[in-house]
This record gives sequence, C-alpha cells and structure tokens, in this order.
Amino acid sequence: MSIRIMSLSCLLMLGLASQSVSAEVEEGAHDLSVELKPGGSVSNADGLAAWDRIYAVVSHPRCVNCHTDEGGIPMWTDDELGGTRPHGMNISAGESRQGREFLECETCHQTSTRPNTMPHAPPHAGIPWQLAPVEFLWFGQDSKTICEQIRDPRRNGGRGGRGLVEHITHDASLKGFIAWAFDPGGGREPAPGTLQQHLDDTIEWVAAGMPCPQE
Amino acid sequence: MVELRVNGVVQQVDVEEEMPLLWALRDALGITGTKYGCGIAQCGACTVHLDGRAVRACQVAVGDVGHREITTIEGLGTPESPHPVQAAWIELQVAQCGYCQSGQIMSAAALLERTPDPSDDQIDRVLSANLCRCGTYPRIKSAVKLAAQRLQGG
Repeated sequence: MSIRIMSLSCLLMLGLASQSVSAEVEEGAHDLSVELKPGGSVSNADGLAAWDRIYAVVSHPRCVNCHTDEGGIPMWTDDELGGTRPHGMNISAGESRQGREFLECETCHQTSTRPNTMPHAPPHAGIPWQLAPVEFLWFGQDSKTICEQIRDPRRNGGRGGRGLVEHITHDASLKGFIAWAFDPGGGREPAPGTLQQHLDDTIEWVAAGMPCPQE
Repeated sequence: MVELRVNGVVQQVDVEEEMPLLWALRDALGITGTKYGCGIAQCGACTVHLDGRAVRACQVAVGDVGHREITTIEGLGTPESPHPVQAAWIELQVAQCGYCQSGQIMSAAALLERTPDPSDDQIDRVLSANLCRCGTYPRIKSAVKLAAQRLQGG
C-alpha cells in the first residue's frame, strides 16, 4: 500500500449518534477517500457488523502487541517461533511507554517513512515507536471491552466519533502505526483488510452511534 | 552524495540513501570500530550515537540521518583522554574477545548521559540488548557503576 504525499483540506460531514455536525478538518498527506455519513443513517445491526470488522483489525497482533498493560512489555508474534511471547532483549517501555527509563524504543525502531523490507528486523514507522497509552489496553481483551474503551473519550484520548476518524487519517498522513499495521513489511502478516476499509468501517460504526456488543 | 557529520567532522559520502549507516561508516569512511553483528538490531554490536542517543547503525538509513551528529567509539574519547566509560572498561578489564565491546560502551555512555545514577535493573535492561557471547556482563555492570561514580565526581 502506498500513501502519497500531498496536502488537502476536506469538509467533513460527520454524523454522530443523534446529530449531524459539519466541521472543517485539516488533513495531512494520504490517499484515503473520506466519505462521511450522517448520524443515524446506519442501522445498529450494520454498525455492529462494522465493529466486528474493526475488532478483527484492532485485535490483530500488529495492533495489540503494542497495546499492552502497565507492565510496559510489548509482545512479539511469529508463528515460526511459536506464536506470541514477550518482546525479547528484556525490553520494558516503562511508564513513559517509549523506553525512556530503560532502552528507548527508538534505539532499534527508527522513525522513517521508508518501506520496511528486512525480515526479522525491528519495524519502523513515520512517528516515534512507542506503546499505546496504558488506558488503551487491547492485548488479551475481548470485543466488548475494546469497543467500550475506544468509544469512551475518557479513555481514548478525548476523541468523539469525528476524532476517531481523524485519528486514522492523521496517522495515515504521517505513515504512522495504523497505516503500518496494514503494510508491515518484512514478511509480517498484515492486519486484515485495507486501511481504506478500516476507515470506511469506522465511519460506518460512528454513523450508527458506535454500538458495542453486549457480551 | 550524502553529507554526514561524524565525530565532529563533516564528510561527503557517495552512497545510496537507503544504505544502512553501519556500512557507510565501515566501508565508505573506513571507521571500523563500529562492528557488524547481525544486521537486524538483535545484537547491539553496531551501536553508535545520533545526537547523543544510542541507535543501532544497521537500522538507520543514511538518508534518514539528516543533520544529526554521529558519534562512534572512535569519537567518544581518545587513547590520551578516554571517556569515563572507556576508562572504567580499561580499569576493570571488561573485554574478553572484545567484539561486542564498542557497542556495549556506546550503549553504556548513552545510558549514563540520560540516567547518571542507573539502578541495577536499568543497567540490566539497557545492556541486555547488547549481546556478549563471552558473558562479560558482571564486569560490564561493575564498569557502568564505576563510570557513573566518576562522572558524578566520586
């Protein structure tokens, strides 16, 4: 997947559960198509189906392995080496989530927009490598738990529905971690689907009012 | 042509931008204190500093270095005036075969720059990512503590 470098500003018409809002949203550099839907235009059932596809992405090792708990230990997944296990080299990202207290993630994981090509080498992205904030705990969590965290502004970085969509497009503009998950390189299995599909599913889920599974 | 600032000297290097910094240092500039171990950041032998922060030179594309200052083991100190980490290494005779030691020293120096009085856990965690097949870790830990003491005026 290639992400072109260009600038654009788009008028986002983003619907939340019970209201429609419009907003001027500055975008950076990506080639995603952003087609927002008015709030309430998507049924609860379709919203839940969209969430199931989102969950398939966010529960994939390319995502959950750096959404770990307060212990700060990232995970590795390699089926050739026996599945998922703690990151080698006695690594802890610490409270900083960037390894500042110990070995900085950036010691090995460079910040670079160049393609990841080398098998078994540490992957890189266009933003500094780090664990997600500890309240974004996804590793080992079920669909309902992750869904409720993602839609809760107190635990998702203060984002509403529009903010969640912007999070994806902004990340794509930087070749960040979400974009990387779909194009991890080095022989790694990518997250299912495409970044565009993930964005479309998020828009669909938001327009349905961000429904979560009951169990 | 790529411009690199290595150990305080600006150098023009005729290499591809995708070339790992390790090979630009060793093959293009002949600065061979930085060692090749694995090429995939699993061993730490190629550790250098970029603006004082430790990085694995095998993972840094030359074109991504930019204006950052590169410091190799040759630029950390001199035989006449070694860096306190180098002096501690000599005093405690840390090295056995020595192959990994430039990487160990560069990692230790970066650690002490950021964390002047590291705990045992911090030393272990940072230097666990620098492999030593000779098993010199007990002496490495002692030397890091000695260097920390010296750097703090002790």
